[in-house]
Amino acid sequence: MSIFIDKSTRVLVQGITGKEGSFWTRHMKEMGTNVVAGVTPGKEGQEVEGIPVFHSVRRALQHTAVEASLIFVPPKFVKDAVFEALDGGIRKIVIMADGIPLHDTIQIRRAGLVENAKIIGGNTSGVITPGEAMMGSFPYWIERVYKPGDIGVMTRSGSLTNEVTAMVVRAGFGVSTLVGVGGDPVPGTRFAELLRDYQEDSATRAVVIIGELGGSMEEEVAESMESGIYTKPLVAFLAGRTAPEGKKMGHAGAIVSNGTGTVEGKIRALEKAGALVAERPRMVGELLKQIFKEDA
Amino acid sequence: MKLFEYQGKEIFGRYKIPVPKSRLADFKSIETALRSTNYPCVLKSQVLRGGRGKAGLIRVVNNEEEAKGEARRLFDIGINKLLIEEAVDIERELYLSITVEPVEGKALLIASAEGGMEIETLARDFPEKIIREKVDLNTGIMPFQARDVSYKLTEDTQIASQIASIILRLYAVFRDYDAELVEINPLFVSKSGSVIAGDAKLIIDDNSRYKHPEYQLTREHFESDAEYEAAMEGIPYLQFDGDISLMCAGAGLTTTVFDLIHYEGGTVANYLEFGGPNYRKAKRAMELCLKNESKVILIVTFGTIARADVMAKGVVEAIEALKPDRPIVTCIRGTNEEEAVKILKGANLTPIFDTEEAVREAVRIAKGVTA
Repeated sequence: MSIFIDKSTRVLVQGITGKEGSFWTRHMKEMGTNVVAGVTPGKEGQEVEGIPVFHSVRRALQHTAVEASLIFVPPKFVKDAVFEALDGGIRKIVIMADGIPLHDTIQIRRAGLVENAKIIGGNTSGVITPGEAMMGSFPYWIERVYKPGDIGVMTRSGSLTNEVTAMVVRAGFGVSTLVGVGGDPVPGTRFAELLRDYQEDSATRAVVIIGELGGSMEEEVAESMESGIYTKPLVAFLAGRTAPEGKKMGHAGAIVSNGTGTVEGKIRALEKAGALVAERPRMVGELLKQIFKEDA
Repeated sequence: MKLFEYQGKEIFGRYKIPVPKSRLADFKSIETALRSTNYPCVLKSQVLRGGRGKAGLIRVVNNEEEAKGEARRLFDIGINKLLIEEAVDIERELYLSITVEPVEGKALLIASAEGGMEIETLARDFPEKIIREKVDLNTGIMPFQARDVSYKLTEDTQIASQIASIILRLYAVFRDYDAELVEINPLFVSKSGSVIAGDAKLIIDDNSRYKHPEYQLTREHFESDAEYEAAMEGIPYLQFDGDISLMCAGAGLTTTVFDLIHYEGGTVANYLEFGGPNYRKAKRAMELCLKNESKVILIVTFGTIARADVMAKGVVEAIEALKPDRPIVTCIRGTNEEEAVKILKGANLTPIFDTEEAVREAVRIAKGVTA
């Protein structure tokens, strides 16, 4: 098992004929992902890697059933693409674009909550269940990183994910499903919401979160642990412990986070809730070993 | 992108949010401007950093002579523009802002009857004095929400109705200018009972800047020449004053290397990301690093699309072109990493494969040179 995606998941790619869209569609297929259709307005009738292209999501859905959509369109067209997917009844969406207008990201987040859809991203590498399928742009061919296993990984970052996951694998573990929630200030789906899925997933024994300074997603993870929604072991690595504060947001930003946002605060909350916090990427693997040695 | 106060107030003016009468002056126009000003007035330095009052960059002056002296002092310390503003007879100071609320996906209106002071301080010491109202972007702000907030700020119905209409207009500014934050602090209530924006802070979301081409980033938006130069090329760069220049890929990984250097007792000269779309900019990135007084350049990457061999090749070409005067430590991994190792070794570099090891090596070199 896995969360969000496995090899049977029927995937649509919006923006499939673009450079990025077609490049990663080829890799997704090579990895075994069940890509069933693509959408690019004006390009119906074409094929990408043998996958039929349609003008619109509605037209694609007349020909094939779709469970999840991967959106490869440029930032300013993302909101439209997300609402088009939601209109088609698709409730799993991954947004790749980096640079989506902030107000669009708020409306996308709101739509996901109202429509009960899981929208991942933007500004992410996507979702991957190693050995089965991916929606996104992971270097799944690097075996020392993307090895199947039973550790769930959630991340706000890109290259740091390769770094930390390599340490998970070096310690003898592998990954059940890795979800990049993305680096935007308003991600479509938050860590704590995915924790529920990992809790239910029998293939996941523990979860690693790769967080960073700012926002309150790590604190929400701690709350989920304290309230018993998530009860499996959790290891966290957080970037930015020594970073200077207050570069991005003004006063109102500090107030929204209400004292949260510093890495120190996040570590305190997570440790209090029973999570193990790794000071360095290498320690993530070591802490996992420690957890499962105690179990045995 | 943060706007200057005078730009924010121009926008407020267009949206009929009351602002004090003012005029903008530079070094050339200041004398004429001060001659035709009513006194007392306020000279407000147009800089983007906060805490202007405490730093002595906002001065109340009582006559033309005093104004000239203060203006000269401010221009001497490098201020380019002054906003000369009529003094308001202040009865009370309030706080008003609108920002984003990421959990529910809404806008967040924040108000307080205690304006003027720093809002973080207020939030920490008197959280009960902060009023929060969430706004659904699909419906927009409802007049009842604005009224409700304004009655929490004052019992005076005449003043409350002015505040309510300012809230509605401020929300229009927030939406129309794709703001990350729009803030009025302080919002004056004058002795004669009018409500006036004492300051205007507007931060346009960087991802929406393309919709507002009339506002361009200038040198004044950055703390150093290097940060400005890097930003113009789309390279994320922060200036510090330590020993190790970072040339890394990805915000998370670069930040992690930044932490590791500090854990190992080292110091950072600059933070620089050349991953993602910038991975072919190795030469430009190295040039920026070489402008520092750093003792070593540390290159750490773990790329996907930014292929390791391409990055390694870029680094080697940069070294050949720039002939750096300081050692370079490389830790380049990711797609085609075996090929990257060959390229680096071919250029007489000693590639390291483990981030922590690379950091320790850089710190050792930096300290060795100092000792």
